[in-house]
Amino acid sequence: MGLIDVFNSLLGRGSLPEAKTDRLFAISTAVVTMELDLRLEPSSSAGICFKPMEMSKYETARDEIEGLLKYSTQETGTSFRLEKDEYNFLWVILKDEDFEDLVTNIHMVSQTLIEQGFGEQLLCAVYRFESKGPVYWIYNFKQDGYYPFVPLEGHKRDNSMEMRLKSLMENELPIEKNVEKWYPLWGMPF
Amino acid sequence: MVKWKRDIGLEGRMLLTMFLLAAVYLFFLAFLWSSGAPPLFMLLFIALFMGIQYYYSDRLVLWSMNAKVVSEAESSNLHQTITRLCAIADLPKPKIAVVNTQVPNAFATGKSPSSAVVAVTTGLMDRLNQGELEAVLAHELSHVKNRDMTILTIASFISTIAFYFVRYSIYFGGYGGGNRRDSGGIIAVWLVSIAVWLVSFLLIRALSRYREFAADRGSAIITGTPSNLTSALLKISDVMPRIPNDDLRKVEGMNAFFIIPAVSGSMMNLLSTHPSVEKRIAALEKIQRELEL
Repeated sequence: MGLIDVFNSLLGRGSLPEAKTDRLFAISTAVVTMELDLRLEPSSSAGICFKPMEMSKYETARDEIEGLLKYSTQETGTSFRLEKDEYNFLWVILKDEDFEDLVTNIHMVSQTLIEQGFGEQLLCAVYRFESKGPVYWIYNFKQDGYYPFVPLEGHKRDNSMEMRLKSLMENELPIEKNVEKWYPLWGMPF
Repeated sequence: MVKWKRDIGLEGRMLLTMFLLAAVYLFFLAFLWSSGAPPLFMLLFIALFMGIQYYYSDRLVLWSMNAKVVSEAESSNLHQTITRLCAIADLPKPKIAVVNTQVPNAFATGKSPSSAVVAVTTGLMDRLNQGELEAVLAHELSHVKNRDMTILTIASFISTIAFYFVRYSIYFGGYGGGNRRDSGGIIAVWLVSIAVWLVSFLLIRALSRYREFAADRGSAIITGTPSNLTSALLKISDVMPRIPNDDLRKVEGMNAFFIIPAVSGSMMNLLSTHPSVEKRIAALEKIQRELEL
């Protein structure tokens, strides 16, 4: 905790951490190791999840994202859809055989939201892979790091597999060190 | 064919510790010898006492932990799992015991692989899934295979003698026959005993930690999946952060307030018999990388 943080909490200035995207791109190189050594196949779908707000400025931002997406996905041949989940979070779900295009579009959406001043609302970006079942790599914008999420039947997760992925990808992917922050996202919309 | 690398560093540290321990002991025995009258009867007495303790160790440990030996019919999953692991590790099947407590734990005891007992608590079985349980059992079987019980008993034998000297030398004040020894000699024996006991205590603790790392490695080799032990360690440790089950969208906004407690001290590291879970997990992660990348 820095001095400024202490000062802020003394004054009760609670604020949400800003979104960071510095390490978002790390997955586009790590994907090679995942495919070749770990036999994790990218499933050609990814999503970005954020909290919508009830204000007109936000509606503008959303419209802009849709406009930008239409434009950029045409160029890359990506298909996309918007979906609201049970927690009222909005998802942009992308589909593309080319993994690089998925990363580019995810980055584009997050950048647009940040530029419009909605960076704080950004929750996470998720890439789906296939092993025996689905394997998700979740990028948390607040922590600027990835973590694995392997859901099993009935709100259980495969901790062994997750720890194995951490051990193996640690040197190539910025992985959140504190496993306490590896929050799951149940009922992934893709 | 998976190639298991030997952990040269770990083996080196283990050898060095055992060498230092032997040096301390030799010094101690030489000192006792040169100080005139080695209290032979006391050495014999302690040796006998420890011999008996060692001989009955398995029963003593089971009794003190309130562990109950279970038959194949009572706990068929445990029996089958251990049978398979023993086949892989080329070990005779040990007796299996269960302790009825919610504290998740496991231990192995016994003089030799043929008389070993592996015990687990019900809390451990409740908390771990099959793969994780297997990894913990394989860790205990590695202790059996490495004969850790015997090695640590031998390692602590002379240390125990020194300890008895420290505690009871006042009663042995007159040994060696009346006025041949003055009080200065007794104080010297007492001081040297304290030093020997302290140094050997730390060395034994270090040795014990290295044996834990070796057993973790053994578990990884027997099961082929180090990550199962990692995940088991995370689940049963009190101090390690756990992988959460609460949805990210539920806890969103609270993340800013997480506090990471800074608890770490080198003193605790020196004194503990087990290495910290963090270090064990780091070692297991290294094994995983050696295995797959």
